[in-house]
Amino acid sequence: MRLQQAAGRTLLLPITTVALAAGIFAVDTITDSEIAFPAFYTAIVLLSVGFCKKTGVVFVGIGCIALTLLSDLLTVNSGVSEAGVINTAISFLAITTTTFLAIKIQSAEIVAVEAQSQLAHVVRVTALGELAATIAHEVSQPLTAAVINGNACLEWLAAHPPNLDEARRAIGLLVKDAHRASHVLGQVRALTKGSISEKGPLDINKTILATVILIDREIQKSQVSLQTQLSDDVPIVDGDRVQLQQVILNLLLNGIEAIKLVAAGPKDLIVSSAKSDSDDVLISVQDSGAGFALADLDRLFSAFYTTKPGGMGMGLAISRTIIENHRGRIWATPNSPRGAVFQFTLPIGQELIA
Amino acid sequence: MIVSSDKPVVFVVDDDPHIREALDGLIRSLQLNVKTFGTTEEFLNFKRPDTPGCIVLDVRLPGLNGLDFQRDLQKLNIDLPIIFISAHGDVPMSVRAIKAGAIEFLTKPFRHQDLVDAIHVGIERDRCHRQAMATISELQSRFVLLTARERQIMHKVVGGGPNKLIAAELKLSEFTVQVHRSHVMHKMKAKSLVDLVRMADRLQDCAKTG
Repeated sequence: MRLQQAAGRTLLLPITTVALAAGIFAVDTITDSEIAFPAFYTAIVLLSVGFCKKTGVVFVGIGCIALTLLSDLLTVNSGVSEAGVINTAISFLAITTTTFLAIKIQSAEIVAVEAQSQLAHVVRVTALGELAATIAHEVSQPLTAAVINGNACLEWLAAHPPNLDEARRAIGLLVKDAHRASHVLGQVRALTKGSISEKGPLDINKTILATVILIDREIQKSQVSLQTQLSDDVPIVDGDRVQLQQVILNLLLNGIEAIKLVAAGPKDLIVSSAKSDSDDVLISVQDSGAGFALADLDRLFSAFYTTKPGGMGMGLAISRTIIENHRGRIWATPNSPRGAVFQFTLPIGQELIA
Repeated sequence: MIVSSDKPVVFVVDDDPHIREALDGLIRSLQLNVKTFGTTEEFLNFKRPDTPGCIVLDVRLPGLNGLDFQRDLQKLNIDLPIIFISAHGDVPMSVRAIKAGAIEFLTKPFRHQDLVDAIHVGIERDRCHRQAMATISELQSRFVLLTARERQIMHKVVGGGPNKLIAAELKLSEFTVQVHRSHVMHKMKAKSLVDLVRMADRLQDCAKTG
């Protein structure tokens, strides 16, 4: 319902283009065929790139040539002159060349966008990988020292007679090592906490719609039918807009990827919001995709668990952290007849309860 | 710490002071002497005692790769066996280290027993190496005392020639050969002909490799 605005905007360009084409046709028909007015059809071809795919642009080009021929036939002064034929030929050449170039540009743009999104993914994965490697090394050093000290302590105790002073010293070092390891982890936790606390009163429906716009391109490319079922009586929640958007985005992209895995059947993705029975806000993302095995249910939200070939297994784990930081819950159930339902709750904003 | 000459020494080179301290305690608990260093320069500047030992070396050192240091040590004729410890299980790196003669390549956090075993293997290998080197140098010092004629006679004797034949070949009396021969046996401290042949073999091997 709320998506109609977006639909209206996308219709504007085709309508303008058709109107312009009609205008060019009219003027071309009225003027002398010796005037190369049809050359203006190149503008139509260029505009069509904005809303047509490759074959569509080709048809627009052919259509423009057809209109040129038609207006030549209809032109009042229809005597065949040498200049007229040459001008028409020049117009044809201009339209054909423009069409060809427009298709080339369009393909190049698609390739560029795809390369960009792949690059973004690689950068994200690489950055995370480096962060993980750094943390692993920082934690591994004190752990190694702790293990060595523990073993040294055992050796001192096993000696005849046991060397208690040395054993005590080794245990003292071990405790310090353990503290250093936990200090490193504390810093990592502080790092992740740094991005939290931008919470405020939030209209979750607006957040959902803002997220849906982000994946417009993905939806079109994968030919998924996305429905938003947003209840009007959803209360305001207390939340971080960017983080919740990240969760919704993650669930929607997961849904699209799951749908892509299924060759035939409906490609439905439904995102809905409602006030739950327990006075929470309930957001649910439902897909008709490949779904998940029940055996995997308790691992779905674990870090580094993934069923996707290039996946990192971080999406749902991060989503759960975010929702739990919002004092909400997130869970998954199988969808009927096929696919998965991911749901999460958010408590109603504090000031509103009071 | 004070290094007593009879006990083997383990040298630890690691830039992390906590790891150094922990290894220091562990190795002392094994009744071995230990000396730790934060950098390779410190290790090279240290006057090492003449006792069997080995090096526990971190692969990732500030400013220098542990593998490059392994090569430097070989150039400096420091034959101490090396046990590498590494933060990452890097297969190509470990293959390179082992091929260059390292005893073991352990990934942190390693099993204590693996390190203990490697240290014992390293010390044993160094002990054998030192003994072999000592024997060779002793033999060489004995060989140096021989005169040119005695060396010539020794060469013929270990070649299996009887005194009569050697005398004929060198145009000497059989008695003279006998006297030289007994000098050789005496100076080389050889108990039997077989003993002398073995010594000659060792000297020859050493001349080949060294």
